[in-house]
Amino acid sequence: MGRYILRRLVLMVPVAFLVTIIVFVLIRLSPGDPLVIYAGEERDEAVLAQLRTEYGLDRSMPEQYVSWLTHALQGDLGRSLRTRQPVLEALLERFPATLQLGFAALFLSVTIALIVGTLSAVYRNSPLDLIATGVTLAGVSLPNFFLGLVLILVFSLAVRIFPPGGYTPLLTDPADNLRHLVLPAITLATASLAVNLRQVRSSLLDVLGQEYIRTARAKGLRERSMVLRHAFKNALIPVVTVMGLQVGAILEGAIITEQIFFWPGIGKLAVDSIGGRDYPVVQGFVLLSAVSFMVTTLIVDVLYGVLDPRISYGSRRS
Amino acid sequence: MGRYARTLATLTIFAVILGACAGGAPTGGSATQAPAGAAKPAYGGSVVMALENDVIDFDPLRSRAFVDRNVHYQIYDSLVRIDDSGKIIPWLATKWETATDGKAVTFSLRSDVTFHDGTKFDAESVKWNIERYMKTTGSSRAGELASVDTLTVVDPATIRFNLKAPFSPLVAALIDRAGMMVSRKAFEAAASPDDFTRKAFKAGTGPFMLTEAVKDSHMTLEKNPSWWGTDKDGNKLPFLDKITVKPITSSDVRFTNIRTGDAHVANNIAGKDIPTAKAESGISYAEKPALSFRSLIPNRAPGFIFSEKNYVKAVSMAIDRKELLERGYFNLGAVGYGTLAPAHFAYDANFKPYEKVDAEGAKKLVADVGRGPLTFDFLVPSGDPVTLQIAQLIQAQLKKADITANIQQLEFAKILELQSAKSFKDLTFVGWSGRIDPDGNTYDHIYSKRPFNDSSYSNAEVDKLLDEQRATADEAKRRDALRKAEQIYVVDDPARVWLGFGAAQLATSKKVTAPPVYPDQIVRFHLMSMAK
Repeated sequence: MGRYILRRLVLMVPVAFLVTIIVFVLIRLSPGDPLVIYAGEERDEAVLAQLRTEYGLDRSMPEQYVSWLTHALQGDLGRSLRTRQPVLEALLERFPATLQLGFAALFLSVTIALIVGTLSAVYRNSPLDLIATGVTLAGVSLPNFFLGLVLILVFSLAVRIFPPGGYTPLLTDPADNLRHLVLPAITLATASLAVNLRQVRSSLLDVLGQEYIRTARAKGLRERSMVLRHAFKNALIPVVTVMGLQVGAILEGAIITEQIFFWPGIGKLAVDSIGGRDYPVVQGFVLLSAVSFMVTTLIVDVLYGVLDPRISYGSRRS
Repeated sequence: MGRYARTLATLTIFAVILGACAGGAPTGGSATQAPAGAAKPAYGGSVVMALENDVIDFDPLRSRAFVDRNVHYQIYDSLVRIDDSGKIIPWLATKWETATDGKAVTFSLRSDVTFHDGTKFDAESVKWNIERYMKTTGSSRAGELASVDTLTVVDPATIRFNLKAPFSPLVAALIDRAGMMVSRKAFEAAASPDDFTRKAFKAGTGPFMLTEAVKDSHMTLEKNPSWWGTDKDGNKLPFLDKITVKPITSSDVRFTNIRTGDAHVANNIAGKDIPTAKAESGISYAEKPALSFRSLIPNRAPGFIFSEKNYVKAVSMAIDRKELLERGYFNLGAVGYGTLAPAHFAYDANFKPYEKVDAEGAKKLVADVGRGPLTFDFLVPSGDPVTLQIAQLIQAQLKKADITANIQQLEFAKILELQSAKSFKDLTFVGWSGRIDPDGNTYDHIYSKRPFNDSSYSNAEVDKLLDEQRATADEAKRRDALRKAEQIYVVDDPARVWLGFGAAQLATSKKVTAPPVYPDQIVRFHLMSMAK
């Protein structure tokens, strides 16, 4: 297992490398000059030319890439063209907020999906199942930006329980932090909840129809322990796969959700820097997302082995 | 007309509320802490401002964004400022005098001012700041100070700006960032200029001090207890202890924060929300015409359709500006035809060249050119539904004069790029945030080969008039020259199609007594106090 994880970690390096090249080229191919954008109403050609030289934007693309990569390998991702903040600092400053929101959403989505999904599989076609199916359909269909605004209008304006956005660091004031977390976490969790819930339900239904379950039932095993001990674990493999992929979706959804609730995570940074062609920040952001995603898939793969001992990575050679 | 009446009504209500508060009986609050009969507003309290984006540069030298100025005005003092009517008033400079040949302006400075970090403000500080703005590589202020040659410290309380040539808009240029004073000690204490612009803590002399700035989250401004300013009753300013500024990009969420009371102040409310803002009992809303203009920019360079001036004029004649204001801009702003805004001294309320929509006249002008029907590309930034709606309204209005505008949605970045290169096809839709001196709204947009002359406009007579108004300090002469030029670049040989002026807004929670609205839209927090 240790060897397997190590191999996967080593494999991440070329993937990350490829990602940086693709992003580097793509963002530069998209139209618009970052300096002209940031100049706004202070567009003075002489000043822009000075800045272009200072920031190295007048050099050829390969030259710029090599320079960026050399620095990146030493842990220096450059400075934002817009704010002049070191990119690494900008990302690290905001990553905890995004991580917290992402985890909260994932936790909500997974917990509810497991409980409700199991219940609706066991009691299929019951009112509970129908309601759950209906709600999930609505959840998938509601875009984040709409759901977020509706939640704000209902829970911040009509019934004033939660604040309409904002953020307090967890360590400064945990209670206030959680109060601010509720609405964005629900917004972000909804879409992935729908997918997860359906996956739990159908996968459990599938397992419940299998012969070993019938055998267990014939032997007089209680329904409850049969579902929880025999069926559930076997139903989890496809569920974990889908949930792993959901991490990507949550990262993506966070970009919009953070904007609505002015949650100071990397989502807003990404939007600002893509719209403004802030090359170094976009590169840093995409690198960070790619690494997060690769780490998650690795965790999912390791989880397979835990869930089903037949899946073993250690013995195989390829 | 209706709009003005409403604005006036709002302002009147406003004045009544302010008056009531000053009288010691604020509405909805108690005046227990104030001694009987005292007109003293309450000291203390903290407010939250919802700003439409995060501040990028705290250093006035680098700043390029409007949002920055909302914070700059609280933490830095400029040499001069404006009052709420747009008139220049003394600030760090108590008075100023232009030499008879116009080539020097001498400012007398306050001598009771210290920076937040304890260093003293004097003529040397002015010299250091202005020279820094002029000489630093990549300075965004260099253009505004281009007329300045050298600075002479006459004595600690007197500084002389020696100019390359007479330049009447100089004093106006010092109202804003080019006239803001930064503590040399605070600047030099920062690890690098890149760091200073993000963390300019205690670096100004203004009524509030920046003490915390967390990117995309909030900024904290604390009261400067030793600020020099007083209000008209002699009360020491500022009243508030603390301002928290939160960047909230979504206008819906910004407005909701005002409605829930989570924020107390906002100066950017979407047109569609204004009726709610006016109706809601917990909110005061006020607006007045601002210095900004809305315009369509034709590419008048040879080889492009709009090199034909009659085509530009035809578009101008066919547009119904009143309808645009009402339906496109939700009545926010004012109808206008040129660059001179109502708050400018040179504004001419009788200048209404395209007041009556003239579709027939436009058709005739197009027919006179003799190249068949007028069809052109209209570049509109993508991603903003409100802008697109306005563009479609313009398209429909032009259709009535048989003019076909083909809307092309492009990313804003792309439009900027094309516009800078002067290679955009036909017509773009870009405004200007406005400057207090009419020169700042005009010169660089109209004068041949200047940086914002995106229409590649060139008219020798206009250039001559614009140079003339720069060279004289006589306001009447400047007014005449500016108005004469406007007649040419709007009507006779149009540089652009102007649609109207924007508005300065201020929405405040009734928990605070709001200061008046200023035409530059920036909130004067030093005049604000808690209502109770």
